[in-house]
Amino acid sequence: MPSLKPLRVSDQTQTDTATTTLTERPWNVVVWDDPVTPMSVVVVIFRKIFGYPNNKATQLMLTVHHEGRAIVWSGQLERAQSYCVKLQVAGLLATIERDS
Amino acid sequence: MAGRLFVRRRDGRIEIRLSDAGREIAREAFGHVLAAESDPSHEWHPSLNGPIDPSHDVDDPLAMFNRQHEVTSNVELAVATLDEEFLNDAEAWAWLCTLQIALRATITVKGIMTSDRLQEADEVTREYIETLQAFLFGLADVM
Repeated sequence: MPSLKPLRVSDQTQTDTATTTLTERPWNVVVWDDPVTPMSVVVVIFRKIFGYPNNKATQLMLTVHHEGRAIVWSGQLERAQSYCVKLQVAGLLATIERDS
Repeated sequence: MAGRLFVRRRDGRIEIRLSDAGREIAREAFGHVLAAESDPSHEWHPSLNGPIDPSHDVDDPLAMFNRQHEVTSNVELAVATLDEEFLNDAEAWAWLCTLQIALRATITVKGIMTSDRLQEADEVTREYIETLQAFLFGLADVM
């Protein structure tokens, strides 16, 4: 049977990580509108890159279309950069920004 | 171009129904993306290297390297499958990404950033944009 000591160490690590996450402002991945990209293409890209269901991907696409931009993901810097790069590789106009 | 340009078959493959002229347009677009990725003097190069974090003068080098690597992988796969009759899902994704990059690079170079500017564009440019859009509509429908 495993001892209790390793479990306590693991619990402490998880608490530290959670505290760090809560005190840092997240990074937003922003997609910007353009006049030529077909709406259905944007939906496919959101589904493929983020794994969003069709209704969420469609809602985000409509926000981009009507408001000129949409925050499509928020979280840690490294993942925000990675998602932004994937969106740019898919040909969308995307950037990251610190949450205000 | 009448009819569907891409068709999802029952075995899961995606059939390419582009005419020879359509494939030539795709070949030209893929060729420009491939050239622009490695040639800083290519007019499409800046649009392939937009800022990731506009609040910084220089983006993270690793993120920039990853972007270049992924764009190159996609365009090389797209070029390699240009004359195929069928695409699998990974190949179709490579086509979609590369065509979308070509579309955005075209409007960036021509300064077409609004719907009004698109209406004012010359006929050749609008026809080229509409052709790439048709390819993308067709691919999105089967993905």
